Amino acid sequence: MQQLDNQEILMKLKSSKQFWDIKKKIKQGFSDQQKIGVNDIQKFAQSCEIEDQLIKLISHILKKSKKRETLKEDQIEFLNTSKIKWTELLFKNLDIVHQKTKNQEEDDTNTDSKLYIYDEKNLLAFLQTFKQQQSNNLYQNVQFQSNKILNINIPLKSSQSILDKYQYLLLQEELSDEKINKIRKQIENEHLDIELEKIAQTFVPNGERCLLYLKYFEFDHQDTVLQQHFVKLQKECLNQLFYDELLEIDGHEISEDTFYFVFQEQILTCLKCFIRDRTIKENIRIQLQSGIKKEHAEFQLPITGFFPFKNISKYVAPLCYLSTKIHIIYALFKEFFCRYFCFLHAISSESNSILSLCMQIEEIVSTRSPKLFHHLKVIGCDTLKLIIHQLVYCFIGDMDPPHILTIYDQIIGHDSLEILVILCVGFLNKYKSKLLLAKNQENVQQIFSELREDRFQELVQYAYKQ
Amino acid sequence: MYNKKLKWKSDFEKSVIIENFLNRGWIKSQEKEDDSTDWNVYWATVWNVRNIFNPKNGFRLNDQQIINHFPNHYELTRKDYMVKNLKRFKREQDKETYEQQGWNFDFLPTTYIFPGEYSLFVEEFHKCPNQTWIVKPAARSQGQGIFLLRKIQQLKKISGTTVTSNMTQLNLVSKENYVVSKYIDNPLLIGGKKFDLRMYVLVTNYKPLKVWIYNKGFGRFCNEQYTTDVAEIENMFVHLTNVAIQQYSDKYSKKHGGKYSIDALKFYVESAYGTEAFQKMIDDIHNIILTSLKSVQAVIQNDKHCFEMYGYDILLDNNLKPWLIEINASPSLTTTTPVDKNLKLNLINDVYNIVLPNDDFSDNQQKQQQINKIGGFSVLYDESLDLMNRKTQKRQSVKIWK
Repeated sequence: MQQLDNQEILMKLKSSKQFWDIKKKIKQGFSDQQKIGVNDIQKFAQSCEIEDQLIKLISHILKKSKKRETLKEDQIEFLNTSKIKWTELLFKNLDIVHQKTKNQEEDDTNTDSKLYIYDEKNLLAFLQTFKQQQSNNLYQNVQFQSNKILNINIPLKSSQSILDKYQYLLLQEELSDEKINKIRKQIENEHLDIELEKIAQTFVPNGERCLLYLKYFEFDHQDTVLQQHFVKLQKECLNQLFYDELLEIDGHEISEDTFYFVFQEQILTCLKCFIRDRTIKENIRIQLQSGIKKEHAEFQLPITGFFPFKNISKYVAPLCYLSTKIHIIYALFKEFFCRYFCFLHAISSESNSILSLCMQIEEIVSTRSPKLFHHLKVIGCDTLKLIIHQLVYCFIGDMDPPHILTIYDQIIGHDSLEILVILCVGFLNKYKSKLLLAKNQENVQQIFSELREDRFQELVQYAYKQ
Repeated sequence: MYNKKLKWKSDFEKSVIIENFLNRGWIKSQEKEDDSTDWNVYWATVWNVRNIFNPKNGFRLNDQQIINHFPNHYELTRKDYMVKNLKRFKREQDKETYEQQGWNFDFLPTTYIFPGEYSLFVEEFHKCPNQTWIVKPAARSQGQGIFLLRKIQQLKKISGTTVTSNMTQLNLVSKENYVVSKYIDNPLLIGGKKFDLRMYVLVTNYKPLKVWIYNKGFGRFCNEQYTTDVAEIENMFVHLTNVAIQQYSDKYSKKHGGKYSIDALKFYVESAYGTEAFQKMIDDIHNIILTSLKSVQAVIQNDKHCFEMYGYDILLDNNLKPWLIEINASPSLTTTTPVDKNLKLNLINDVYNIVLPNDDFSDNQQKQQQINKIGGFSVLYDESLDLMNRKTQKRQSVKIWK
């Protein structure tokens, strides 16, 4: 745990706009007086709640300075054993993939494209295998219905609280140039993460997004350090790993995307560095695989502690818009993955985990759109199976980059992936009328194979339509 | 909305043209001859337009006819004429006046026209020994005949005989002119690859000048990583962005065709370089379009039956400065991807919504004067407005890109 001394706390306070507002208020309170004692200031501060504000600010600084430990064990024991099973399954998949690549080398005509360790469908299928657990006294408030595909007894936030939290997005209007300029100046001057979060929740001008992200992750004066780290990783890429081949194959889909094909080489470079980066294991917020070492196995887990999966390239792609410097793109990707996207691949009861997000979506759709929920079940096309791709990959490939980065803004803004719940619900509501007419899975596939344009604000609007 | 059965004729069997005509309920002209005159709307080749306007043919367009080129469009769209007109226009302007009006000419790389300016070229060539030059036939398209030059001896390709640096004139094998420009060897790269921009501009009148700019376009990407390595100087997949060339690369993808939308590009520039840099880039691009059109305003034969949709090719360097490469009178309407088809279908649709609103041939200049936006087109410049309104229009034109 990193302890800050008083000087460091003061430095951090001084980087916050709120601190200077408080100071200004105190000065104004004593403008006429010539002699001011510490007791006077304390009394004044208590009388107009400045003391509370200052205490909260300092607490926040101290809290943020504490290094977050990687979550290794879940509070629910069966999820820990499930994680082990999941890791075992992935090792088996790895063997199969390795065999396939060997076969392809020997036979050029064999072009099996399923060369990945797992995808989102595999992950959802695994989550579905969890057995219903006995309800624990702690979790009696959790209600689960048998018609949902995830019958897991884990603590869940109420779906209404998530809907309420993001309702402010419905009121967002187009901002005037003057307001946008004000926000720009705020981003330039602000350093405290809670203030940056507030900005990210409302509106981030395109030209200042990279700066906001860098400041939020405390990278804004770290360019040389980041560059040196990246260059070191690039050198390590000269030693080929088996996983490099999988990353190259993964990049093919991105290379066909009209918005991301130009960044194909950069994305691959970032990922090759990523799987060699030793610092990820200590920075990632949640352990993805159980870290079992297979005896005499040809392959071990990458040094990151988890397997690369299908479409991992997608997470890097939108960040390529933010900077011309690859080491910056890499640093941002690494931070986003370690803080947020890792939860989309974690067997966990954490509120950001894929399990919790899926259960929230099922809960909202089954209660607010029961007709749709039931209809999809009847035609063999469960709600979660329909949106799992969009959920796990944050709509990358479904929305244009500006909308994706708005999602990233909201993720930072609330330090949470819950915005994905809102967007998935909105997505289903948007296509509800067409889905209700679908008679089978082919019809459903037809609906989504047509040229469509999904937008952030539009899906938010749909999420709140009954 | 479309209630008149106009007759159309097209020299191009392009779906984006024909589908547009059919969607409007127009009927194909039944006369099969090239010189047939029984049409209201004609999407013609530049050669047929020249024939139509040739006084020797004795043909005059009637009030119910509209055609897609101005008679002497080549003043703008032939590379050598474009250079000549821009140089002439620059000489004619009073420097103080044109800078006050916001014109600048700093978008054309140093260029010489062969064979006439060969000796001037040689002088400049020797002053800049490490400079690469790009040689292009003046009147060809799709990257044909283009090569990069670092040694005078390479000009043997176009002269047919040995060329040495002490020669004062150059005899060309073919009768065509060539333009030789300083190669912009520091292009803006995205993902390490060179690209240029294709933008669409519609001129509905030259006197007074009225210019519309389309909000969609694309970047055309090379398939190979850019390099200034001399060993790769003849690798056209590194240097030439023409789709006609890049489609033969092993790395060519039919899914995106190497085309990157202008929306994506603008988002990238704004996000990676900042809003101010983006605004300046857009202003500079608008300057290129307006200056080039103003440079031929006096020489183009204006005709109320004519309009022209140009394809502007612009290259950005690594300082985000745009450079004019060329202007196409007949930008390709071939579609290589579904996104491309959608763009060009809407483009042609919007063109006809502007030039023939409601299929009505009556004088629409007055009615349209207050309309600044139709479909994806926005008015960039309307000389018929007074100066104050033109300034407002210019400020608003940046919002096309928002």
